[in-house]
Amino acid sequence: MARTLAMFTDTSLCIGCRACQVACKQWNELGPEVPDWTGSYQNHTHFTDKTFRLVRFFEAPGAAPNGDLAWLLMSDVCKHCADAGCLNACPTGAIYRTEHGTVNINQDVCNGCRYCVSACPFGVVSFNEQTGTATKCTFCNDRIHNGLGPACAKACPTESIQFGFRDDLVVKAQKRVETLKGMGFKEAQLYGADSKGFLGGLNAFFLLLGKPETYGLPVNPKLPQKNIFVDSLLSIGSAVLVGVGALMAFRSRGDGKEG
Amino acid sequence: MSLSRRDFLKFGTASAAGVAAGTGVDWTPVEAATTALKIKEAKAVASVCPYCAVGCGQLIFAKDGKIIDIEGHPDTPHTLGRLCPKGAATIQLSNNPLRPTKALYRAPGAEKWEEKPLEWMYEQIAKRYYDTREKYFIEKEKNKDGQEVVVNRLEAIGSLGSACIDNEECYLLSKLNRTLGIVYHEHQARV
Repeated sequence: MARTLAMFTDTSLCIGCRACQVACKQWNELGPEVPDWTGSYQNHTHFTDKTFRLVRFFEAPGAAPNGDLAWLLMSDVCKHCADAGCLNACPTGAIYRTEHGTVNINQDVCNGCRYCVSACPFGVVSFNEQTGTATKCTFCNDRIHNGLGPACAKACPTESIQFGFRDDLVVKAQKRVETLKGMGFKEAQLYGADSKGFLGGLNAFFLLLGKPETYGLPVNPKLPQKNIFVDSLLSIGSAVLVGVGALMAFRSRGDGKEG
Repeated sequence: MSLSRRDFLKFGTASAAGVAAGTGVDWTPVEAATTALKIKEAKAVASVCPYCAVGCGQLIFAKDGKIIDIEGHPDTPHTLGRLCPKGAATIQLSNNPLRPTKALYRAPGAEKWEEKPLEWMYEQIAKRYYDTREKYFIEKEKNKDGQEVVVNRLEAIGSLGSACIDNEECYLLSKLNRTLGIVYHEHQARV
């Protein structure tokens, strides 16, 4: 396997221009959508089959270094998790891991069962009603295999989205956190950079200026598949209990008739 | 069709084996197809973003006479290949089927707009420029001492430039305006 490629999204540099969102739509030829009026500049409210990059806008009271209201911006994308829920859930093998460590959905193989949609802890995978397949960010699979970076990272005017080898980017990101902490952003932290952390680390990781929940991200995302064993035991246990109960109920009724 | 228990078992096992084998299918060629770059055989032409005066460099990729991709030109010294959201959507100028291709015209006093071809519109603009200039052009004027001096001035037309035009277009517009004698040579940023 080649060195893992990653995208590092430094939200402290994001100016919310949404060039990444447009560049993504343009390169991947994703069609237009009816806008959602959310009360902020954010459009749309969540990922769709035509929106793979989404700039989220948050008004966070007290998040600024001087305790004022902060306007937090974050360019959200598929995280290409090292332990990907969608990849584990896919029954057809349509979702696969490329040699660069990214997760991609093969549109020719996908049968549209949507297990991946419910298996993603970040709500990234969306279902395309026209093609009947699941869609998500491809990490510009065609571009990274031809020596080009992803369209969003290329378009970003402030280098908020950086593309490169994962190990290099993590070192860079950690330095940036230190700088920001020195500037007064006490809550500056990395999200998903630790490959020993949740989901084995994210290949698209983030630098946040606040707690993950401020950005609507799960603090400790877990895959629904992890519950299968316990849930199965619970189901079997309940079935046994109900069965035993039913048997006992029949026996006591029989006893009553005789008596 | 009657199906014996033996047949059922036989076909059932065969199907199960097929399904089991199916999970081992090698998708490598299908995966390789997703890595084909659409701009690989396209012709790349360096250009300038048509929107604002920053003039970010763009690369226009064309294939079979059609623009298939427009992105930032990495060799541009002041942008290094980055674009703003508007610039990133430049391809819509040529490829968007929703763009109007006809001019809307409302005659003086008319209540409705009518569709006219673009050629007609260009002709009208040229014609009206010409007519107005013929009618209102001031060649000579008396100065404060009562002497006639050549002024070659046209006060009936005003020109409003735009921040969205680049140096070369500004130059052409100024040339045109000065040639016609237009003195109200204004710009959006000064209004």
